[in-house]
Amino acid sequence: MAFYLDDELHDGERQEFEAHLQSCVSCGNLLAQERLMLRTIRAAQPLYTAPPELRARINELLTEQEETLPFTAPVGLRARLQQMLQPALPTRATDSLSFGSLVRWGQFGLLRTAVFSLLITTFVLAGTWLTFVRRDLNPLPPPSDFARMAVDSHLRRLRGQLPLEIVTDSPLDISDWFTGKVSFSLKLPNYQEASGQEKLYRLEGARLVGFNNDYAAFVAYEMRQRPITLVVTSNGVAMPSGGEEIVSKGLRFHYDTINGLKVITWADRGLTYALVSDLEERGQQSCIVCHEGTKDRDFIESLKPAR
Amino acid sequence: MSRSEQNSKEFSQAALEYLDALYGFAMTLTRNRTEAEDLVQETYLRAARAFGRLLPDSNLKSWLFAIMRNIWLNQVRHHNSGPQFLELDADEEHGWEKLAQTSEDPYALLLQKVEREQVRAAIQRLPVHHREVIVLRDLEGFSYQQIAQILQCPAGTVMSRLGRARDQLRLLLSGWQTEIVRKS
Repeated sequence: MAFYLDDELHDGERQEFEAHLQSCVSCGNLLAQERLMLRTIRAAQPLYTAPPELRARINELLTEQEETLPFTAPVGLRARLQQMLQPALPTRATDSLSFGSLVRWGQFGLLRTAVFSLLITTFVLAGTWLTFVRRDLNPLPPPSDFARMAVDSHLRRLRGQLPLEIVTDSPLDISDWFTGKVSFSLKLPNYQEASGQEKLYRLEGARLVGFNNDYAAFVAYEMRQRPITLVVTSNGVAMPSGGEEIVSKGLRFHYDTINGLKVITWADRGLTYALVSDLEERGQQSCIVCHEGTKDRDFIESLKPAR
Repeated sequence: MSRSEQNSKEFSQAALEYLDALYGFAMTLTRNRTEAEDLVQETYLRAARAFGRLLPDSNLKSWLFAIMRNIWLNQVRHHNSGPQFLELDADEEHGWEKLAQTSEDPYALLLQKVEREQVRAAIQRLPVHHREVIVLRDLEGFSYQQIAQILQCPAGTVMSRLGRARDQLRLLLSGWQTEIVRKS
């Protein structure tokens, strides 16, 4: 049980234990007690806060260390290397690689030709490389651990390795089920009933998933036989970051593609969300699970990539 | 700015994020504010000098914790006068067990009333090898493998220590809860 709570079980073991939980009431009760105790311990975090004077001292110490750069070659080694390179390269700082020095140095005939040919080839190759792979030089920031966990959970759900702990299409029942199980309040909207529109998606159920020493809420949906999953945690546990960033309606959305899946992460009113799907473009259609109202359609449209 | 300066600055910023966590671990190890502050300072000093040897994919946080644990262990060995741990003696432990057993209220309800201060005090009452695994796993969220690397012991030892530490902590917390209920 401890391994399960600490997320140290392999997929097969985890599945086996969860199957056992379905049929064993006493293990279920024990698990609830253990979860409660762990949450109580975790709620005590941080145990201590560093005193301001210590923080100031550490800051000062690190600044001093920044000025003393690591891995500076010892003076003796530097001198020996300069001596070795003397016949071929200028050593005085004022001469280093100036055009004049290159001309003077280029009195070596064949060597000069070879070196200049090599330099020209290098510049041409570098130019080509810069032209064709320039995008890779400035890649998007990497996805957050939270986004990666959400995608991993989505994949595990697809592989049947993440069974739902509550199976229902009622947002209210799921919201109630999370009460007391997660350290935040989660209310799933119920747009379908309120709007009376055609049912575009189906709520399948929910479960808990472990993240950063806490439990996050995992909610599974299906839209035209395509799975959509939503993972929610408090913004004290995870903050959205990485990927392409778009601001819409005062919220900052982060878009990423991980293992071919679209993941959108954002934070709002103390909670951090990750929505995963295999939908087109940025996967913004998955937002429909919470924004099906007509006025929200504009909001989803605004998240489309520019043409 | 040169690459070294850039790296050094990045390291400083990243390492500072763990100051509270490291101070908490130092307090867990030493249970003394002055010693904890010295330990934190020494940890940052050594880390700043050695960060260039840290592999790019390494976990900075667990590396800093491992440095701190090593410094503390060396200090204890060097002075041969390790901290005087307040161990739970047999009678005391039995007493908590009794309190927990005589509790008539559901355990879940009891735990909900535990205050942060009591959790902190309960952790500090544990022997150091139990305190450190509780802090590393339940508060800092390290995996069994990472804890094994920090403590330089087999993962199996981490698991067994963690199990015993949680048992002890459970007794302490439920004991306090019984006291709260009795007084209220």
